[in-house]
Amino acid sequence: MARRLLEISDLRTYFFTEAGVVKALDGMAVEVNEGETIGLVGESGSGKSVTAQSTLRIVPRPGRIVSGSVKFDGEDLLAKSEDEMRKLRGPKMAIVFQDPTTSLNPVYTVEKQLTDIIMLHRDLTKEEARKSALHILERVGIQEPEKRLKAYPHELSGGMKQRVAIARALSCEPRLLFADEPTTNLDVTIQAQVLELLKQLQKEFGMSMVMITHDMGIIADMAERVTVLYAGKVMEVADTVTLFTFPKHPYTEALLKAVPSVAQTRALEVIPGNIPNLIEPPSGCVFHPRCKYAKDICMKEVPPLEKVGEGHHVACHRWRELTLEGKSS
Amino acid sequence: MAWRRFKRNKSGLIGSAIVVFFAMVALLSPYLAPYPARSYQALYEGAAGEAPSWQHPFGVEESGIDVFSEVIHGTRNDLYVGLAASLLTTILGIAIGAVAGYFKGLVSDVVLGITQIFFVIPVLLLILLFARVFSILVFKGLGLTLIVLILAFFGWSGVAFIVRGETLRVKEMEFVQAARSLGAGARRLLFRHIVPNILSPVIVVTTLNIAGFILTEVVVSFLGFGDANTSTWGLLLNEGFSFVRTEWWVSFFPGLAVVFCVLGFNLMGDGLSDALNPRLRE
Repeated sequence: MARRLLEISDLRTYFFTEAGVVKALDGMAVEVNEGETIGLVGESGSGKSVTAQSTLRIVPRPGRIVSGSVKFDGEDLLAKSEDEMRKLRGPKMAIVFQDPTTSLNPVYTVEKQLTDIIMLHRDLTKEEARKSALHILERVGIQEPEKRLKAYPHELSGGMKQRVAIARALSCEPRLLFADEPTTNLDVTIQAQVLELLKQLQKEFGMSMVMITHDMGIIADMAERVTVLYAGKVMEVADTVTLFTFPKHPYTEALLKAVPSVAQTRALEVIPGNIPNLIEPPSGCVFHPRCKYAKDICMKEVPPLEKVGEGHHVACHRWRELTLEGKSS
Repeated sequence: MAWRRFKRNKSGLIGSAIVVFFAMVALLSPYLAPYPARSYQALYEGAAGEAPSWQHPFGVEESGIDVFSEVIHGTRNDLYVGLAASLLTTILGIAIGAVAGYFKGLVSDVVLGITQIFFVIPVLLLILLFARVFSILVFKGLGLTLIVLILAFFGWSGVAFIVRGETLRVKEMEFVQAARSLGAGARRLLFRHIVPNILSPVIVVTTLNIAGFILTEVVVSFLGFGDANTSTWGLLLNEGFSFVRTEWWVSFFPGLAVVFCVLGFNLMGDGLSDALNPRLRE
């Protein structure tokens, strides 16, 4: 079996707002092996991004990691000092953010954005750092990298900006990359290119990748294993094929039904209701108010994460009785 | 982009032209002025108290000071006070405002409290007091630089407020989070990523502050609390004040210089503000 790179267990990250304590992550667990791509799926507010932020320990205020454990390469990240963490961010793990228009600093050229990070972590001269920046731009498929080095972010197209953002995240060759909805703000035609690029870079660099998205299509395309999140809790974990063909959680089923396909003749099903208020989450199973299979027990008891099969776990009281519909094909 | 918008702004351009004119006068003052600074030479030429003429374009003061020369020397000194004090306040204001905006908790509360105190105290009275006390007691030889230091010490709170507000806004932006996710520490985030993004309003305020500080220096000197050995417009205004009915030119010309210089910096500041304000972009 492949070596375990990241292991998050029972992680709780709360936001202490004036309105109350928002439990953004409430018992989150996920494992990532060396060299694999896993998917984190869920609606907005389900805790996907907070998982990435918690791992890098950059949860913005008023958020705080309350308890749990984050192990990276066998080391406990939550026990590290801020200085030690700072040395890990970049060379060990990095994030590609959703919107390259806001994640690149508007006042610096592409060259400065890249060399700044490179020189921060590696003992290189300016000229060496420039060469390294040029090299990474080539690897993310940017044409005329010499010319692009001199450009400011606003002079680049959306797809190009995201390539630069990816280049910046990869500039210190991290072993783990969080891709936080990296294509949501891009043109549909560019989306496929960027996903293909990420896939290819993941292989070339031999790094692990956590694909954060709400798009089941992207998951099917990219991830080997999937963790389905809802309201900061894990609903289901499985390898991608199993999850798509034999989902065991009603929420996973609902997510799959909300994906359009060309051959489809029936109307798209939407999941009724909204993601719950995380200050006072519903009793019992957090998904029960929106679940069409909910019974009495679902309102009263929190379902444990139970093992269904090899690498397949689900948190649902009724998984044994229900026959859920997956995606055939 | 900003430059193109600035060029279309007429009053801003006029302001800049005035500022450039005064800057040239200040730089070339040793060559432009017919008489040295604080020189009574005209007295020995029998011209004391003379009205403006070809020989003395701005007239001569009662005790023989050539007003034209004195206004030119004053330009240099007053611009020095305005620029130096404004630059110092900007540096102080950025450092203090950035800390108050970026950090949370006791440190930033205390810093913000101090800023508010400096914002509300009647600064002019304290400046006069400090100028008098310090020039007698401690820093005798400092001359105008003493005024600069006092002005800067009492003048940074406005910049600090703006920097704090902008820092609060910019620090939540994604590129700050992105830089942090790649290993940047607090100091790097603040001074490499946040501060360069908030310079537009700071540049505007710095320009407007120059006008403000020049005006304050004129007031201080006019009231007789300035450095009596250095040519400034305020000092000349003060000297002409007693003879304003008979020898109006002694006060009139330095007054005119003050008006135009302050006007120039204000127009330029407004022009910059229009050009750099993202909300006014069409």
